[in-house]
Amino acid sequence: MNHKTMKQKLEFAAKDKLYVSIAGVLFLIVTGYISYDYLTPEWKEYQSEFSDVVAEKFGEERAATIPAGLQQIYVKDLNLSDRCITCHQAVEWKGLENGHNPYKTHPAAILKSHPLEKFGCTTCHSGQGYATDMNSAHGFSEHWEDPLLGKELSEFYVVSNKSAMMQVNCNKCHRFDKETKGMDVINRAKQLVNEKGCRACHVVNGRGGTVGPDLTFEGEKSPEQFSFERVKGFASMFTWHTAHFKNPKELVGETIMPNFGFTSNDAQALALLVMSWKKTKLPVEYIPSNNFKDVPTTEEMEKEERMKNGPGAFFVQKRCFVCHSVSSLGVEAAAQIGPDLAMAVEDVQSRFGRTLDDFLMKPTGTMEVVLSTMLPLTKEERLEAIDKLRNAYELKKKEKLAVKK
Amino acid sequence: MQFLNQLTALYKKLTWTWNPGSDKEAGDAIVKNVLLHAFPNKVSKGSLSWKYSMYLGTISFVLFVILVVTGLILMFLYVPSVERAYSSVKDLEFVVSFGWLLRSLHRIAAHLMVAVVFLHMVRVFLTGAYKNGKSVGSNRPLNWIIGLGLLLMTLLLSFTGYLLPWDQLAYWAITVGTNIASSAPVVGDKIRFFLLGGNFIDQNALIRFYVLHVFFLPMIVVFLFVWHMWRIRKDGGLAVVDQEALTQKPEKVIPVKSKTYSLLGITNGSSVHVQTTMVNEEENSVASIPNLTRRLWLVTLGTIIVTVILSIIFRAPLEAAANPAVTPNPAKAPWYFLWLQEIVTISTIPLGFVTINGALIGGIILPTVMICLAVWWPYRDPSGINSVGVWFAPERKKQNRIFIIICLFIIIFTIIGTFLRGPYWNFYFPWEAWPTMPVKY
Repeated sequence: MNHKTMKQKLEFAAKDKLYVSIAGVLFLIVTGYISYDYLTPEWKEYQSEFSDVVAEKFGEERAATIPAGLQQIYVKDLNLSDRCITCHQAVEWKGLENGHNPYKTHPAAILKSHPLEKFGCTTCHSGQGYATDMNSAHGFSEHWEDPLLGKELSEFYVVSNKSAMMQVNCNKCHRFDKETKGMDVINRAKQLVNEKGCRACHVVNGRGGTVGPDLTFEGEKSPEQFSFERVKGFASMFTWHTAHFKNPKELVGETIMPNFGFTSNDAQALALLVMSWKKTKLPVEYIPSNNFKDVPTTEEMEKEERMKNGPGAFFVQKRCFVCHSVSSLGVEAAAQIGPDLAMAVEDVQSRFGRTLDDFLMKPTGTMEVVLSTMLPLTKEERLEAIDKLRNAYELKKKEKLAVKK
Repeated sequence: MQFLNQLTALYKKLTWTWNPGSDKEAGDAIVKNVLLHAFPNKVSKGSLSWKYSMYLGTISFVLFVILVVTGLILMFLYVPSVERAYSSVKDLEFVVSFGWLLRSLHRIAAHLMVAVVFLHMVRVFLTGAYKNGKSVGSNRPLNWIIGLGLLLMTLLLSFTGYLLPWDQLAYWAITVGTNIASSAPVVGDKIRFFLLGGNFIDQNALIRFYVLHVFFLPMIVVFLFVWHMWRIRKDGGLAVVDQEALTQKPEKVIPVKSKTYSLLGITNGSSVHVQTTMVNEEENSVASIPNLTRRLWLVTLGTIIVTVILSIIFRAPLEAAANPAVTPNPAKAPWYFLWLQEIVTISTIPLGFVTINGALIGGIILPTVMICLAVWWPYRDPSGINSVGVWFAPERKKQNRIFIIICLFIIIFTIIGTFLRGPYWNFYFPWEAWPTMPVKY
């Protein structure tokens, strides 16, 4: 390494300086590219186009009110953030019913019973709510298993009813309904389940025979769990189920499931039905037919009936029974807060030093508050009450005498 | 004036944790400071050479810095909970400004770091750089072992990071990994339980991997890295310097003003100290600043640019959310463990009544043996001082060949596992298409 001059020795340094400069320029270019990419996302184009649509139809002023930037519906109960409305901004916009997607108003009736803030978008439509570009959002991208159940898929599978695929999602909540408005395809499939007697061999929704496999959570299976060796065409669970309903033996040689000769439409409907049978993690209030209530026993129901129609019906109707029993008329207080009204005639006199008539017409204390705010009674009603309470007192006295004897 | 003195004293109190009693004490403190001595004053041109070191160590350090910086930002955005992990990664991908870039950079830098640290080890072996030269007090075999520790930590960091997105890829890679760990004799199940914090891959495993990934393992890496660098200085620099020293003859040098000499050194040019300079400084070395620092800056910039470009080209994948009920086909370990998974597959042989436990052989015994061999070899290596710090020294031909064969075998098996193993772990040639896996709709 004998260098003749200092310049020769530091030749590499000059090269290094050049390389550093080149690297610096490259770094700037890369930074520029990333910034450009950040500033020009796909959704900005849709938003600006929507703004034009609104400006043209409703004027610039309305267009100025459209929110800009990423939009999302966050439903905490469903752990869901749907960013669909970033592009589909017209969803709740009146007057664009005849527009084309994504600048189209959502059918209003269904949104009324299924508000956006409670259901989001993907609960019904599927697709990838997290995503902010069309391909990923519609879920036709790698590693997303629940694509948009819409027009594209219906056309691909030649499903007659445009909304048929989506009904799989309706049935996540409406699973135990016998029939649901707007779910024609699933309704038809449910009808077939009863008509063809599927429960003879299969457990469906928790009851049925054990000859065939339990189908309660059939929709929970993954595509890997099916053999596609004999399936013609596109390998999907939907194709498998459809083909299997049409001719079980063709797919599973050793099966004893009979061929019911389903039409294509019926086979598809049944395929969608079984695919909807999932282990859904839904808050209980989302399920229309939920049993999240206290069912009264027969005894409790009989008692309620008795009180409603018995001699003390007046006190039940006017809700006096919430606090007071009227024992001689068969009225039992829901909460034993006040004294038994069967003894009211005597009781009022001893407690307040006034007659029952006087007290009920001009009550004091708690009863003053109750009768003036919560349970207002007309003068006639008060008179009726006094009359009935006197009767009750007579009965009570008789009861007591009978006991003594 | 007194006020100024007080102010100076206060400033010193605030900036010095310890107030030196004298200038000498202060000087000693500087001499002992490892941070101030990361670089020597002068550096030989041999150590600067691209061909010799390829700057693989520097590149791995830069990658580590990229990982720390992106990782710290990711910590603000990622939620280590089973319910939220996946959606927080989805948010990074779609709605966090530059979130996709952060994640992609972190992933690419991690993959590159595994590769570069491995190549760095290969370089050190093939240049015999783990051997001591002539300089006094060098202990390169120790630094080789520290380096092995850094390689293991790199693998563990990458492995613990693998679980965090909580997607199918993560879940099943960790399943494969921890199942291999459980094949260890006697304590296998205990090890798996310890790794996962339970019997299942769930919240406990996630938080365990997360804490290891963001705190303990990086801390260990920082500690080992500082030790690694400190040892390089203590060992007399890169091994190539020892090679250069061999070619140098003692040369008479005139004392210069800028240096301190012993009294003997300046008595009329006869001192040993002055004559026997190790490296002929004027001929072969250049000032570290700016020559070395500029080089390092160049390598840093280059590494960053390559990482960013790769991050743009290869977007970090995110599979479906983790689902313990559905095994993806094929289920693979992280790519750098696929050579082991390949060996596990090959060495699982049913022999009549018994089956040879491939997981034990490929997953436990083989890696343990390889690590032990690597630790032991520098002490056993018979090659002489002439083969220190030189590529493919003739004297080391045999061991280099064996080492290259082992490396090739790791690389080939990794490639087979990564690219040629398809569904059901069947072998597919590159020109053969994998069967398309069915989908729901």
